[in-house]
Amino acid sequence: MQRRNFIKGSLLLAAAGLFNPELYHHRLFAFEEAIEMSYAEAEKEFTQGTKSLDGSKLITLDIPKRPGSAATVPVEIHVDSPMQKDDYIRSIAILTTKNKVNKAVIAEFTPANGMAYLYANIKLGQKQDVVVFAKTDKGVIYKTSQKVYVALSGCD
Amino acid sequence: MAKRRAAVKIIDKNYSIGDVVKVQVIIIHPMETGFAKDKHSGKTKPRFYLKEIEVLYNDKPVTWFELDVSASQNPKIKFAMKITEAGLLKVRFINSEGEITEKSVKVLPK
Repeated sequence: MQRRNFIKGSLLLAAAGLFNPELYHHRLFAFEEAIEMSYAEAEKEFTQGTKSLDGSKLITLDIPKRPGSAATVPVEIHVDSPMQKDDYIRSIAILTTKNKVNKAVIAEFTPANGMAYLYANIKLGQKQDVVVFAKTDKGVIYKTSQKVYVALSGCD
Repeated sequence: MAKRRAAVKIIDKNYSIGDVVKVQVIIIHPMETGFAKDKHSGKTKPRFYLKEIEVLYNDKPVTWFELDVSASQNPKIKFAMKITEAGLLKVRFINSEGEITEKSVKVLPK
């Protein structure tokens, strides 16, 4: 083998190694995924364009108005529903409005749950509305929200 | 990876068949948003979070949760469940790197 060919070959091999996607797989994914999600996007992802009805009577929210720490804000939701086979709450979504990623928790239920109840801890970047959606098995979406005041940001 | 600490607990103590009980699920897990910087090195911490929680009651799916980075770290979730028979309640945690942690609790109605 000529020296020139050898150098060419080794250069090509090195280049192929550098652009090997498996080598970068982990890191690329980590950086690519850090995309902000606006409230409109998060809402659209859950509702799929369906208009939501006022659910302030149906959905009972229990969120402290001034939580001690913004890093763990307890959100307790109770939706009035019989949870029978043909009439139940299919999913509940907890969304924020002014965080960088506005999707917190989406829960999917079945009639085996017996009660449409959800408790989850979320974090808040600043004072904002916490919005809760509840979707029935027929596709009707109810919405309610509550303003939560936090002194310090819970996101670092 | 180090083994993750997680727990499943039926909050109500004396329950019988037909009752609706509350179940608490907790896992010790970070929720890195991908925006934060490390204080010492100054590098951006990669996004790393708990993505999914699945609940199986005697191998039948009951409920599942989809989490994103706006959930707090060490996520704690409570939900309701109807007791229909004695058996096993299995909870599966899946994080953004596909790592699976499983925990289960025995359901013993009186």
